[in-house]
Amino acid sequence: MTTQLLLGNDAIALGLTQNECRVVTAYPGTPSSEILAGVVKFKKKLNRDIYTEWSASEKVAFEVALAASWSGLRAAVTMKQVGLNVAADSLFSAAYTGVVGGFVVVPCDDPGPHSSQTEQDSRLLALTAKVPVFDPSTPAETMAMLKAAFELSEKHRVPVIMRPTTRVCHAVQSIDVTDTGMPPLNGNSGFKKDQQRWAATPVFRLKLHHELNAKLQAIESEFESSSFNYVVNQPLAISHQPFGIISSGSVFTTSQEVLDELGVEIPILRIGTPYPLPRKLVAEFVSRFERVLIIEEPDACIELQIADRTHVSGRLDYVIPNAGELTPEVVMKVIGGQLDKVGLTVAASPEDSALAGIIGALKIAPRRPRLCPGCSHRSAFFTLKTTFGPNAIYPGDIGCYTLGTNLRVVDTCIDMGGSVTMAAGFYHASKITQDKRPIVATIGDSTFLHSGIVPLINSVHTNARFILLILDNHTTAMTGAQPTPANDYAADGSAATRVPIENIVRACGVKFVHVADPYDQEPFEKLLKDAQAFTQTDEGGVAVIIADRPCVLYDDSPVEANPIPVVITEECDGCRYCVEAFECPALILRADKSRVDINYNVCVDCGQCIDACYKGFIIPKEVVMSN
Amino acid sequence: MKIVLAGIGGQGVVYATKILSQAGLLRGEKVMASENHGMSQRGGSVMSHLKIGGSEAPLIRRGTADLLVGFDRTETMRNLTFVRASGNVFVNSTNGLDSSLSERLQELNIAVHAINAEACAKELGSPAVTNLIVLGFAPAHNEFGLSLDDLKSAVRALGPAKAVELNLKALDVGAKAAR
Repeated sequence: MTTQLLLGNDAIALGLTQNECRVVTAYPGTPSSEILAGVVKFKKKLNRDIYTEWSASEKVAFEVALAASWSGLRAAVTMKQVGLNVAADSLFSAAYTGVVGGFVVVPCDDPGPHSSQTEQDSRLLALTAKVPVFDPSTPAETMAMLKAAFELSEKHRVPVIMRPTTRVCHAVQSIDVTDTGMPPLNGNSGFKKDQQRWAATPVFRLKLHHELNAKLQAIESEFESSSFNYVVNQPLAISHQPFGIISSGSVFTTSQEVLDELGVEIPILRIGTPYPLPRKLVAEFVSRFERVLIIEEPDACIELQIADRTHVSGRLDYVIPNAGELTPEVVMKVIGGQLDKVGLTVAASPEDSALAGIIGALKIAPRRPRLCPGCSHRSAFFTLKTTFGPNAIYPGDIGCYTLGTNLRVVDTCIDMGGSVTMAAGFYHASKITQDKRPIVATIGDSTFLHSGIVPLINSVHTNARFILLILDNHTTAMTGAQPTPANDYAADGSAATRVPIENIVRACGVKFVHVADPYDQEPFEKLLKDAQAFTQTDEGGVAVIIADRPCVLYDDSPVEANPIPVVITEECDGCRYCVEAFECPALILRADKSRVDINYNVCVDCGQCIDACYKGFIIPKEVVMSN
Repeated sequence: MKIVLAGIGGQGVVYATKILSQAGLLRGEKVMASENHGMSQRGGSVMSHLKIGGSEAPLIRRGTADLLVGFDRTETMRNLTFVRASGNVFVNSTNGLDSSLSERLQELNIAVHAINAEACAKELGSPAVTNLIVLGFAPAHNEFGLSLDDLKSAVRALGPAKAVELNLKALDVGAKAAR
């Protein structure tokens, strides 16, 4: 037995590698992003032949992996939970057609949410799409579940979901990494034609639907005796008891620990296969208790599948909060409250309220996420704001640059690509409401390639008029620098063909297209003004500016090549303009508010803040030296 | 042993968690840790939870942590209620924690051990190893549970080779400051 410390996402990657998964595709998104990077790492280390791809979107990733499965290979696709929405069209259809090689979908849910726009439950999407689900509680368990998921997928020829949450993906655990992977059941046959299945018309789709229902019935029956469903704190005598718990996912381990802290032995039925729910097993468990509490995240998947809820409590009767992460504090409160109801009073040490009160009085301000020092988005946003002011309408998008909210130049953020469509929508609405405000949408390179192109074509076609600012930092920065189709390298570093964004924009029919470095603030301002003027001309339409500058975190060579160290002069009066308008973490307002200082530990010498002091108190160090 | 680590993005909170986790693993203990990823960019609050020889639950409940290791004074105070009565706090600070906390901390028998790790790091000529200096400072106090040798073994096991020597030196600087 070899034990190693593994991040949950690395455990998933190792599980995929050990089980001879041959194609793994993904679109990056927290908390899923490290999985594909892990597969690249393990395939090199273990010398496995695995095709890995950072796809342009989750739908693309899903279908590339699906075709591999239809070719008889084991395949997997990973994404964050909202990514499964993008791939939902494929998921629903693939459930009917079925698969050949084991096909596992890994959507990572984010209760909290820590870094997502919703707290949606991928298990519920799976339930609607009729796709079986495994729900791991720990990083270690993901490896065993992946093996079971491939087996199940191959035996019943269905796509299978393994759904971890943030607390599984981003937990680090000591794990036995002995290779227990098993080879594929269906062989690597290559694609075999079968039009009635792979290209089924509605008549055959009905047949496939019946077939899927039969598969699910068989799978439910198998899940009744699955080793992933078990009872802990099993009472010695089977008799009617006041209180039991059903739990799944990471919050199962939290529930166990809370019971330990309370010093009570309450039986928990751990469900590792929440869909299709082994209903006999669950009904039998429920029948033994006066009250059963369902603790699952982030929504009610097990609970919804229990038909008789007379003795069941959870989210549907509001006993469990219906938003936010089920932290140990929340679980303690809920379990404590339920135990109290059935007459089992217990005591557990909570946080010290007196201490919490004193800390509260210190009024420690939250540290909000901010763009990094030297970030080119900040320069683009600052110029944008000084050019069009606070009144323009600024639709934003998903990425680091959503933090343009801090600079007040992101007014909306709905989903991937939403900036472009919302800008067009605001334009068409403004014609009716007679609103003359400029509209400037911002979107990153990876997000544009993911979901911005079709909206741009639609905007050009419908004669919409707005500025689209594509913030091209040459990578998917927010999630750890994954390549996009505009890069010339692939997930594993091998050569890929670069698809330039500028060419795409021109091909979409945009007549005003300019590429500019946002670090050159003055010309950039002029370009923004020209773009706005273009949207107002008779033959005007969408104007696109590509703000071209690599992410300073992953490629700081342009800054290194031309460093501009700055100082703030004695005259600084602490007016706070730079701190609020430029919002760089290296600009620090003194505690007595008398002036601003530069934190040289984080400053990258980009010199971009010089224009952020309109009084001229931020100056290049060279000027000081030569004076 | 339940440990909360707190600091600011860029201070190496995740790396410090890795060292303690590795040290626990080398002692043959079960390890479970929880990391922050994603939105926590440079300069934001970063916290991790670590259990050595404990349960598989990823998070630590407020009021139950044995130790709080803080690389930033403010972030340490923000997370102070994680510490249980009779627990211990190790903090990188020139002046301990806010004086308004002293009385209540004393009543709860929570000990605060402060080290000016930033100054030590500057002396060493490497501000990047502030986190290791705080870690090296902690084992001198019996309550910490891991020895200086445990931490050194972990640093050696984790690598990378070119960073090991400086990291070991930083642990020693911290340990020396505790004497």
